[in-house]
Amino acid sequence: MKLTHRFPPHIRSRENNVTVMGDAVLALLPLYFMACFFYGPRAAALGILSVLVCFVSDLLCQKLAGRKIGVIDLSPVVTGLIIPLLLPASIPYSIVVVADLFAILVIKQPFGGLGQNIFNPAAGGLAFVTITWPNLVFRYTAPFEKLPLFGEITARLVASPAYQLKMGGIPYRDFTDMLFGNFPGPMGATNILVLATCLIFLVVRKSANGKAALAFLGTVTVFAFVFPRIDGARLQSVFYELCSGILLFGVVFFLNDPATSPKREASKIIYAAIAGAVTMLYRYFGGFEEGMVFAILLMNAFAWGIDMCCEQWISRERRKRLEKKSEKL
Amino acid sequence: MIHYFSKGIVLEQNKEPALSRELAEFLDPSMPPKYRTGETGDISSVGPEKLIAIAKEAGIVDETDGQPLFEKLEKARYNKVQTLVADAIDDEPYISSQLCPSFQLTDQLIGGVELAQKIIGAQKSCIAIYRDIYGVGIKIPEKLGEIPIERISGTYPAEYRSKTIYQSRSTAVIGSCALIHLYRAVYEKRCQTTCFVTVAGDCVATPQNLEASIGMTVQQLLDHCGLSFEPKRVVVGGSMTGYAITDTKSTKITPMTRGIVAFREDFDEMNYTCIGCGRCAQVCPEGLSPYYIYKFVTARRYAMLRNFDINLCIGCGTCSYICPAKLDISSVIMRGKQEYENYLQDQLRRRQKDSAQ
Repeated sequence: MKLTHRFPPHIRSRENNVTVMGDAVLALLPLYFMACFFYGPRAAALGILSVLVCFVSDLLCQKLAGRKIGVIDLSPVVTGLIIPLLLPASIPYSIVVVADLFAILVIKQPFGGLGQNIFNPAAGGLAFVTITWPNLVFRYTAPFEKLPLFGEITARLVASPAYQLKMGGIPYRDFTDMLFGNFPGPMGATNILVLATCLIFLVVRKSANGKAALAFLGTVTVFAFVFPRIDGARLQSVFYELCSGILLFGVVFFLNDPATSPKREASKIIYAAIAGAVTMLYRYFGGFEEGMVFAILLMNAFAWGIDMCCEQWISRERRKRLEKKSEKL
Repeated sequence: MIHYFSKGIVLEQNKEPALSRELAEFLDPSMPPKYRTGETGDISSVGPEKLIAIAKEAGIVDETDGQPLFEKLEKARYNKVQTLVADAIDDEPYISSQLCPSFQLTDQLIGGVELAQKIIGAQKSCIAIYRDIYGVGIKIPEKLGEIPIERISGTYPAEYRSKTIYQSRSTAVIGSCALIHLYRAVYEKRCQTTCFVTVAGDCVATPQNLEASIGMTVQQLLDHCGLSFEPKRVVVGGSMTGYAITDTKSTKITPMTRGIVAFREDFDEMNYTCIGCGRCAQVCPEGLSPYYIYKFVTARRYAMLRNFDINLCIGCGTCSYICPAKLDISSVIMRGKQEYENYLQDQLRRRQKDSAQ
């Protein structure tokens, strides 16, 4: 009988890195289904290309760093799936590839790869292409226009609700269209009901923090109610702010990114609330129609600081409590 | 009834079939039972000091913390404790070595509780049992004899948490097996030569609770219960806090051994890296941040640990259990606890030297 030595505990939960990342992949797949429904097979082609580029570049970086590769790492797959979903379906393939490479080669791997990156790779890649090609990134085609897989794209271009809000107009889409995602926008971020379901799924699977998501959405609601961009229609303004752009997508997949968000629940809620405020400030004063990726990147830089401040506060409270307890005894 | 709003984890208990099987005696013939000296008179007329002396002579050890029973009784008597709690909580998976004797040797437990209550001079007594075990053949009654049962609920580590609450309430907590041994020492004149051990695990053929002689080897107990598969790991103690042994033939049963768990599979060497999900910080029952403590200890940045209260870690293993990367967080933190103390003393010495110059 050959026995091995192990440190306690001797039983472990069934969750592992693959299942945690697999949850995110599972949550992203319905969005691809919806994108294919609205824009045809081009959406799926973009996704497959992006995943391949991310996965291969990540693997190469790990090889270069001399790390042992023995396990399927799904995190580049998640990054690769997120990036095309936040771009219009008519985006050239080359831009997706640039965003992927920037995400993996500049944002993720130089900091040490999985779990060590300070900034969210997908948000970083998207921010890069947004600044470089803003006219392509914010050029949306109308839903149900079947786009060709290759070659010149000839499709009707429409302004997204986020753009109309930015310009001081009123989005003309009605309530049900907004909820079912039948409005121009990034190919995966318009399906509000599907995204809400994804959020619930991830909260139930404990991959996402429901309180943080509520804190973010609550801050946005307060901002939209107090400073409406549609004059005189506060509730309408709240609804369009919540549904337009990539806001809900960001709540589900950026705010709850394991590596770049704070660790404690208290600091997660504070982080989410500030991120909501920063997103709204970007919408009011930023140059682009949607600034959530920039808000997320900005907040990523402060995640560690928020955690440390919370830790200091919590430990002070804890020590006070312990002192009181020892006085009583 | 104690309610907990604390963090922790829900564990599959896996207490069956060991819990419902009959408690079997498995004694070493080369170790005859020892009897204490002195006459058996009328027990009701024997004073508390005499009973404590009997407990001392019988050499009874509390199985929960390894302290001699007579010391605990003396201390509780000196402190004029109000309530006596017989601890049969058993919240670790597979282990039922306190629950099973409590239900099957009920008379002895009740007798032991009454004796201890008399020694301490406590007004009340109760038996604490962990409630949140499912799929068990036994239904936990309201009372055992005349003694009420206090149901401990909540997530793992419930036993530790309940003890901290009892400590703040002027309560004495004594293991239920030690009370059974106290009964035997007083009424049957038997010294403690046995202890209750659960033998379980996914490669044990007949998982059961044994009353085994102290000093037998782990191998003897495993052979008695039979192995259906070749085990990869044998753990002495609970599955959450016990230690793995590599030599079953020379490891002996001590009064503190509550279980022997043999596992068929070694969990996968996957060389995962931390993905920073922060689940460890969400489940830590003490409210610490195992994520940062682990990082700072592995990087040896002890100065950063100032605000992290590493000394409050109880080593329950909750963080390691939940970790999706299967890191040994808990054992690294336990090591870091010692190293941080050394670091602090080093700093103190350096400061004293500086001020002396």
